[in-house]
Amino acid sequence: MSSGATAADSRSTISLHRLGVFCGLAAAVWLGSAEAPTKLVNEGFSPFLISMGMVMGAFVARWSLPTVIKGTKFLFADLRDKPHLIVWALLGGMLWAVGNTLTIFAVREVGLAIAFPLWNTNSLVGLLWGCLLFKELRGSRPRDWAQVLGGATAIVYGAAVLAVATAERSGGAQHRALVGIVAALGAGVMFGTMYIPYRKAYISGMNPLSLVTIFTFGELVTITVLGLVFYGGAGNLMAELHRARPMLFWPFVGGFCWVIGDLFQQYAAKYIGIGRGIPLSNTNQLWGLAWGALVFAEFDGLSPWGRARIVAGSLIMIAGAISISMAAPPASELENWNAAMHRECARYGLDSVSVAAVVRGDDPLAGLKHQRRWWELLIMLAAFGVFVWLALGTRAQHIAVSLPWMIVLTIGTFIPLVVVGTMLYRRTRFS
Amino acid sequence: MKSTAFAAILTDAHLWVPVVVLILGIVLLMTLR
Repeated sequence: MSSGATAADSRSTISLHRLGVFCGLAAAVWLGSAEAPTKLVNEGFSPFLISMGMVMGAFVARWSLPTVIKGTKFLFADLRDKPHLIVWALLGGMLWAVGNTLTIFAVREVGLAIAFPLWNTNSLVGLLWGCLLFKELRGSRPRDWAQVLGGATAIVYGAAVLAVATAERSGGAQHRALVGIVAALGAGVMFGTMYIPYRKAYISGMNPLSLVTIFTFGELVTITVLGLVFYGGAGNLMAELHRARPMLFWPFVGGFCWVIGDLFQQYAAKYIGIGRGIPLSNTNQLWGLAWGALVFAEFDGLSPWGRARIVAGSLIMIAGAISISMAAPPASELENWNAAMHRECARYGLDSVSVAAVVRGDDPLAGLKHQRRWWELLIMLAAFGVFVWLALGTRAQHIAVSLPWMIVLTIGTFIPLVVVGTMLYRRTRFS
Repeated sequence: MKSTAFAAILTDAHLWVPVVVLILGIVLLMTLR
């Protein structure tokens, strides 16, 4: 028996649907927790600058984490094998950057309470593209349609209930309602469309860790161009960044955490599709809420009615997530997934046997040891150096936090990282 | 990449859907600014 076969035999046998569901839920925890560091910024900096800080953290994470997990030799080989997907990876990053900037406009004009549920519709947009372009849900039973569509709608509705309840405390200002609503819906369409590159990459056998290393260039370049346009040139942008220097560490950490969540989201999109994976990761609002309520005491003084709405919104979201989790694709739907994969193989001359193996989590290269390169150490040192440099220049933000709850939620955030990360490794070797 | 690969990319609906959405998003952003 070959060593490859032995490695495959020793793998976990958890179903890909269950693994994808766990990845979606772990994504929600980390995407929600990524909001926590940005809450530590209280000096009235522009949301655009905070977003830029997050993109910088994301850029560092999107290079250092894949390098640690897989090594650059594997990543470059994967990219060389499917070079056409570089176009989609860049497009995905650009869509994210434009969408994220639209959310800033939306929050400014109509407040988070109205804007958040509107851009949370991205899961429904993703579901539409998944069905139209990648044959997701095609051939499934009416019960599966009802579970997935109903679950996704419940998550969006739960988001709306939570957002309205939290607005009671924050009192979102409403200046130009129509502009804000259009911006929020636009952001939802951008984010929902961003999942097209995700899904395309994964039915072509690309590793999520390879995709994100290119995705981040689209993200960084677009946000920089938008920054230059909005601030009226490089001089003004640099001056603003310099002024924001004492707080940049926090959005940077947020961006880093966001990438961990996004990686789980990518694996969810790979193993259960965007129609099921994205609504699950969109329950991140629950975790953001937990940080806000327990650590930052954002809801002290909330009326009993407001608290009841928060509980109701959370329960609706959880019910939606459970509904989707139970909708494993039947064999007739999986045949359509297979057809979408073969379409990619035929169009781009990919080896369908090898791609099929990667799609089912059995990448033949994943179990092999890849020789490490000297520059990987440099990448790690550079990432660590940026963290230290930003941390040293950070001014203390005077915000009251509950330390015990912070410890509890931090531990609660790391548990899915370890547990789901181990599941992913044992089942797929991160393929 | 070979020219056939370029042709495959340029005639792929999976490319044009996100490209059109991205262009509309940029136009929207510039309009709202």
